[in-house]
Amino acid sequence: MSREQMLATLRTSLASNRAWLEAEAHKAPHTPPPFVLPPADDLAAQFAAELTKLEGRVYQVADHEEALETVATLLEERKATTAVAWDRAQIGLPGLDKLLAERGVQVLDPVVRDEARKAQLQVLEPAPVCLSGADFAIAESGSLVLYHGPGRPRLASLLAPTHIAVITSDQLVRGLGEAMARLRERYAGRLFDVTSNLTLISGPSRTADIEMTLSLGIHGPPELHVVLVQTP
Amino acid sequence: MATQTLHFHDRVDTALHDETLKTALERATTRFVGNRAGAIDALEDADGLRRQARALRANALSKLDELLARLADQVEARGGKVCWAADGEAARRYIVELARDRGVKSIVKSKSMASEEIHLNHALEHAGFEVVETDLGEYIIQLAGETPSHIIAPAIHKTREQVSALFEKHLGMTPTTEVPPMIRAARTALRQRFLQADMGISGVNFGVAEEGAIAIVENEGNARLSTTVPRIHVAIMGIERIVERFDDLAVMLQVLARSATGQKLSVYTSIISGPARPDEADGPEEFHLVLLDNGRSRILGGQYVESLMCIRCGACLNACPVYQAIGGHAYGGVYSGPIGAILTPLLQPDLPDAYLLPQASSLCGACQEVCPVGIAIPDMLLRLRADAVKAGKAHPVETAGIKSYALMMKNPLVYRAGGRAARLGSRLIGRKGRIRHLPPPLHLWTHGRDFPQPQGSQSFSEWWEERQKKGRTQ
Ligand code: SF4
Repeated sequence: MSREQMLATLRTSLASNRAWLEAEAHKAPHTPPPFVLPPADDLAAQFAAELTKLEGRVYQVADHEEALETVATLLEERKATTAVAWDRAQIGLPGLDKLLAERGVQVLDPVVRDEARKAQLQVLEPAPVCLSGADFAIAESGSLVLYHGPGRPRLASLLAPTHIAVITSDQLVRGLGEAMARLRERYAGRLFDVTSNLTLISGPSRTADIEMTLSLGIHGPPELHVVLVQTP
Repeated sequence: MATQTLHFHDRVDTALHDETLKTALERATTRFVGNRAGAIDALEDADGLRRQARALRANALSKLDELLARLADQVEARGGKVCWAADGEAARRYIVELARDRGVKSIVKSKSMASEEIHLNHALEHAGFEVVETDLGEYIIQLAGETPSHIIAPAIHKTREQVSALFEKHLGMTPTTEVPPMIRAARTALRQRFLQADMGISGVNFGVAEEGAIAIVENEGNARLSTTVPRIHVAIMGIERIVERFDDLAVMLQVLARSATGQKLSVYTSIISGPARPDEADGPEEFHLVLLDNGRSRILGGQYVESLMCIRCGACLNACPVYQAIGGHAYGGVYSGPIGAILTPLLQPDLPDAYLLPQASSLCGACQEVCPVGIAIPDMLLRLRADAVKAGKAHPVETAGIKSYALMMKNPLVYRAGGRAARLGSRLIGRKGRIRHLPPPLHLWTHGRDFPQPQGSQSFSEWWEERQKKGRTQ
């Protein structure tokens, strides 16, 4: 059946219930609340507490230097020699490129497209670490908002067993409603012009499918480390 | 599918006598009920959010024709393809032909109720494609050759020993009673499936008309991999699963996660619009959106239209004393629990005993109470029973119920008050209690049955035994 036929069927069906549905639709406002929990004073602390509950780790650091040290330690602990990463310019931590070079961590070519797709996937697969930034961090739910697109591969928060994300305290918002409003503002209604994907991440990959036992890392990273840099 | 060859009553009997299932169901539903309650109570304005969610669903349904057209236009403008599938056959044909045309060999799937509704796996396997379910629970039951027993935890009826045996047989894992090695074995095996796959198939939690996008929620990361790694992504969406604006997601995603598992948000939410753009490093080259009607437009024009507001959170299942006792298999259809008892007879009217499902309810009202979009489930169950009697399908035993329904409907306040009294009363009586006599006019209802205590499974089993002694309704 064609589009027009299916839509015509829908229109006919709707005739009998449209008025009732419209009335139901008007029973509450449509604009989402910016946040849904009683507001907290310290967003950074709230974010850290929420993500910690989800088995993620948050490192609240004072400046870029301390952030770089934290990243260095995480890389060292994992004996990382390769990584799948966003473009360093997109991560927004000056000195990260230099650090990676000094530590002998090679950032792999993240382009997984067309004919080279399957072969390049096998190249990326063994990397122990993913490195990304984020657009916003939602305090209420301990979530990261990752607007993907050029220089921001999706696999850089998905493939490896450890995902390290670097964010700054001015990226903190209270709730999901606020994050979505800010996203719309920033991209002025052209949200999906240059990207095909926007991802929210709230903690490491989890499952309770075997006897309701919580287990981490069934598909996505079992470890999520967020380095939260205080902005002046 | 095997469960469908048994009669509904036999499936209920089987479930009630399966001790493993009983323990597992109790563990799962108790946990989900508790988590949900905690997550809803924590909200500053739980009632306001719920009313918003309902209004947004009603808004989308009220202009469904317009919104679907917009969604499709936007998807196409971004280089995606749209299939308008009037029924399961059309959807299956489109996907099978696409896979053939593109030389696909292996397919990875993330959880999708719509694809189960149209038995897509069967069609794809029949056409010679290798199809792997990648949600851990779905994977386990695929290996076991079974069907899901719970919407959120599909393999809840499997013990760790059974899972270990399955992984030993299919993945060569060393037998274990520890869960972490099983998780690692599954991760390793499935990861290679992802990397080799030519096509990923996913469901859709919400289509977003304004942005031409779809939102998919999950906790494992298998949906992210299925929609990112393979060259082709096919998303199957029931046409009712749409919202108008991007911002609507802020309400819907939160009520969904809180109602389903008690999470604030699911671990991963992917919002996807079309295939990867030229400058993106990864993502699929092709994006196909299958818009599935399959009986939904019929429901849209009828008296059960409210059931289309459902966001498949599973809260009504967990809260239902009948579901707590018998689990998902016994319902026989793809959708189980209170909402399944409504959707199955409407979407799969050809299932021989689908009309019996609306009887599998004590009408305690727990389902409507927990539903994040406030669907009047007990009300619709009663109307479906009346329909079955009118159609000459149901036995006169049911008419006592129908009569009391007529009385209650004349005065809905009495009905609601009665429901509340029943819940309060049953709580007072205690966990294993039953209500044998209700105040008028609800006493008519007790001619047919007792009201089981809403959150306990014991009463339903007792009620069932008694009912079986009295003789079946068919
Ligand atoms: S009917 Fe309501 S409670 Fe049940 S699955 Fe649908 S949305 Fe959830």
